[in-house]
Amino acid sequence: MNDRYASATTSPSFNPWPAAIFVCLTVLAVLFLAPTIGVLLSSLKTTQDIALGKLWSLPTSLYLDNFATVLTNPAIHTYLLNTLLIAVPATAGSIALGILSGYVFAKLPFRGSDILFLAIVAGMFFPPQVILIPLFRLFNGLGLLDTLWPMIFVHIAMGIPICTLMMRNFFATVPAALREAAIIEGASEWQVLSKVALPLSLPALAVLSTLQFTWIWNDFLWPLIFTQSDDKRTIMLGLVFLQGQYSVAWGIQGALSLVASLPTLIVFLFFQRYFIKGMTMGAVKG
Amino acid sequence: MFKTTRRALMASALASGLLAALPAHEAFAGGEVTISHYFTGDLGLDGLKQIFAEFNKETGITVKDSPIGHEDFKTGILVRAAGGNLPDVFSYWAGARTQFVVNSNSLHPIDDMWKAAGLDAIVANGATLYNGHRYLVPFGYHYAGMFYNKKVMQKAGITEMPKTWDEFKAMCDKLKAAGVAPIALGSKNRWPAQFWFDYLLLRTAGPDYRAKLMAGTASYTDPEVLEAMDLWKQLLDAGDFAKTPNAYDWTDAADQVQRGEAAMTLMGTWITGYWNNNKFTDADYDFFEFPTVKDGVPRAAVGPVDGLVISANAKNAEGAEKLLEFMISKPDVQAKWASIQGALSANVNVDAKSYTPVMQHALDVVKNAQAFAFNYDLATPPPVAEVGLSAFAQFIDNPGDVKSILDQTQAAAAAAFKQ
Amino acid sequence: MNLERDKTLWRLAMLIPPLAVFGVLVVWPLFSSFYYSFTNWNGFGANYRYVGLDNFLQIFDDPLFMRAIVNTVIWMLAAVILPTGLGLVLALLIDSQVPGASVFKSIFYLPICLSAIVVGQIWVWIYQPDWGLLNTAINLVTGGDSHFAWLAKPGTALYAVIAAWSWQQTGLAMVIFLAGLTAIPSDLVEVCHIEGASTGQRIRQVRPATVVVVALGVINSLKGFDVLYIMTGGGPFNTSDTLAMHMYNESFKKYHMGYGSAISVVLFLIALAIIFAYFRQLRKVDQIYE
Repeated sequence: MNDRYASATTSPSFNPWPAAIFVCLTVLAVLFLAPTIGVLLSSLKTTQDIALGKLWSLPTSLYLDNFATVLTNPAIHTYLLNTLLIAVPATAGSIALGILSGYVFAKLPFRGSDILFLAIVAGMFFPPQVILIPLFRLFNGLGLLDTLWPMIFVHIAMGIPICTLMMRNFFATVPAALREAAIIEGASEWQVLSKVALPLSLPALAVLSTLQFTWIWNDFLWPLIFTQSDDKRTIMLGLVFLQGQYSVAWGIQGALSLVASLPTLIVFLFFQRYFIKGMTMGAVKG
Repeated sequence: MFKTTRRALMASALASGLLAALPAHEAFAGGEVTISHYFTGDLGLDGLKQIFAEFNKETGITVKDSPIGHEDFKTGILVRAAGGNLPDVFSYWAGARTQFVVNSNSLHPIDDMWKAAGLDAIVANGATLYNGHRYLVPFGYHYAGMFYNKKVMQKAGITEMPKTWDEFKAMCDKLKAAGVAPIALGSKNRWPAQFWFDYLLLRTAGPDYRAKLMAGTASYTDPEVLEAMDLWKQLLDAGDFAKTPNAYDWTDAADQVQRGEAAMTLMGTWITGYWNNNKFTDADYDFFEFPTVKDGVPRAAVGPVDGLVISANAKNAEGAEKLLEFMISKPDVQAKWASIQGALSANVNVDAKSYTPVMQHALDVVKNAQAFAFNYDLATPPPVAEVGLSAFAQFIDNPGDVKSILDQTQAAAAAAFKQ
Repeated sequence: MNLERDKTLWRLAMLIPPLAVFGVLVVWPLFSSFYYSFTNWNGFGANYRYVGLDNFLQIFDDPLFMRAIVNTVIWMLAAVILPTGLGLVLALLIDSQVPGASVFKSIFYLPICLSAIVVGQIWVWIYQPDWGLLNTAINLVTGGDSHFAWLAKPGTALYAVIAAWSWQQTGLAMVIFLAGLTAIPSDLVEVCHIEGASTGQRIRQVRPATVVVVALGVINSLKGFDVLYIMTGGGPFNTSDTLAMHMYNESFKKYHMGYGSAISVVLFLIALAIIFAYFRQLRKVDQIYE
């Protein structure tokens, strides 16, 4: 089936499979793209047109007003900046903490570390609405409401389980021999982590960075709860609040959705080449 | 923090300059009032910003507002209440919802402010006593009527709007014969269907019985309720409602009427704001009152009342009271606000001429009504409202199931009332 | 001796920061909210009373809860089959040296970059009864004039939402499977091929990746709230409620915070049971590769 080896092992003959696979993939890709194209279409039409049911038709003229409205609105710039100010530190923070705990569980296990690991991973297993109010009370008491801090801290905390899971699985693949050799040469655990394990783990870090950034960027629950002033809002809240009193400005929402998803797409494209190798390590060791 | 202090200082300088020109207003040297509300449409936001700016000019108090969309507001305000961080002032719906919050001791009573500002004389529909005290200043209210497309009615040969149930049914038949769906209903978000339940119950069993049902002392399995539901079922079975109401939002239903695919929709006066925005004007639409079903039953008008309340732990209760007074007692502020919202002002001194003809019509109807009732999800406590709204949606999906739906509703409602 | 002490010091130094953050911001709020499951708090006021296990007993009387559990199980099963299966197929197809592989990868991964709000809204427009893409396509093919309201009918609403959710999750599954496939060292693959290995054997080679995909699918489906909230809000009349949505409705719409907390306790216990199974799978996989 795989024509990598066809030429190596047999004489070249017509292999229908590659063409069939290509056609198959193309069909699937078109089907898969349909919703995304829908979003694109909505950004290029007026809200009235969409309300009248004309979404799924090819636009006859290029209507760029929605994008213009979105991109020239200073509030949108603030939202984008706020979201960036939250997503970058939160991603970095959760990965850093995941590295630390992942290393311990992988290389320095102790009695009960399995249970502790389990407890941390369990933190992924409940819907965030459950801790909405206790967290609100906490940050209210700390006087941090209506700032960006609660969202940064909460995303770091909520990201610890998945980061710990990934990094632990990855570090487990680093041969014990490497670590032992370094220790014999007088390295401390920290040096093993930073000079041996981490450099080998760049692919895993790339994966985590992309996924974490995407999840944090796209979140709207925590900003909804923790922000009150318009100048602290994130881009996803901007999307949610396009719901006017009567109806939603569909065209603008379409344009804003696309603008809002650009950063995560860019992050993916950037890290993509490391992605595959990275997911490997997490996957092979379960 | 820094910004507001500077603004407050500037404002107080301005205010002291204006002192001479303002009778009976003390200079208030600054301070801030936080307000959260659900008026998030473009017009609403701008309108409020203007109003807050005027308030600032007059009293020197800055208003810091955080608007949230209608549905998210319900969650947001609850989280803030639960977290002990309610804003000084927030918009809220008069009726059972406010009662619920009052019972939780979360609101600051405004009896004194009410008396001092003489609001008894100014405020219409003084149905604002909760446990014997005042907590809510009504801000504006709406009326639910049968809004119709004039051209569609003309084309179908309908010249007079029905006053009785039989006339109404006859009109629906005429419309169907003309190839038009008589009634548009967009119940995707459940609440638009409640007006049908409200009016049918009010017109058959009367406001007193309905009040009992809303309070939990009557049952959904009573014959009165079944009678109202049966009338509704007749309409549904006769095909008087346009296709699958549960699939469409109320704005879709309004669009259907505008496009002439349906003739009318039972909706609140805010539909005028929506229609005017879509270039469908007074010349194109009007409304008629929900027809009489049984003679001798008092004619009630149904609608929601939007109001403002002050939280019990408000940081600036004084400033908050001033804001409430400002919002309600100035006729021009009220008039501007009402026209933006497609609402009726709660201030009786607002010049009727500032309303569009359709809104004046609504004002007349409400004035002449023998009772004013809050719509279902504001008349009964929130947990029960949730049950009822889902029941209506289920009924619309399958009217034949009405008896079992009512049984389930009563069971769930009884449990919710116990809470 | 010193080495052991050093190790312990490092364990503490490295574990305390993450555990502290996790403890304060996740564990404590979680148990704090579980506390309310023993009260009748309505969220608004400060007055509530202790009601013992009443809320948990009420669960058995709650038809909406039963519906929510069934829907959650359906969602979980769908999560294991749909995005997993499709992701595997896509990964196998893309892995076969097809031209434009990276373009295909990006196309299938793209949905994850979109937020739930967008995903929900666009699929609402796909399912729209009169001009939605789905009905338009169906009518084109069958020549009919269906105006079926996919999201408004109890029989189809949940599945419609699951389809939208799966569309987004498939990319994630695909990427993980691709990793599993390309991880296999090339010399091993060569050997397999010379010996005539079949697609079936390649599928078996991705077993570890499968465990990850399934686990992620289950986790995400249990938490699946955002897309559901946007598309149906649990409707029509609560027929597409999942446990998470039911908890939200009870807590934030009906102001039964206490009861809502009880539901989240149950949800958490279910998740905990699943993670035990997952962990056992991990152990088994580890053993295979040791």
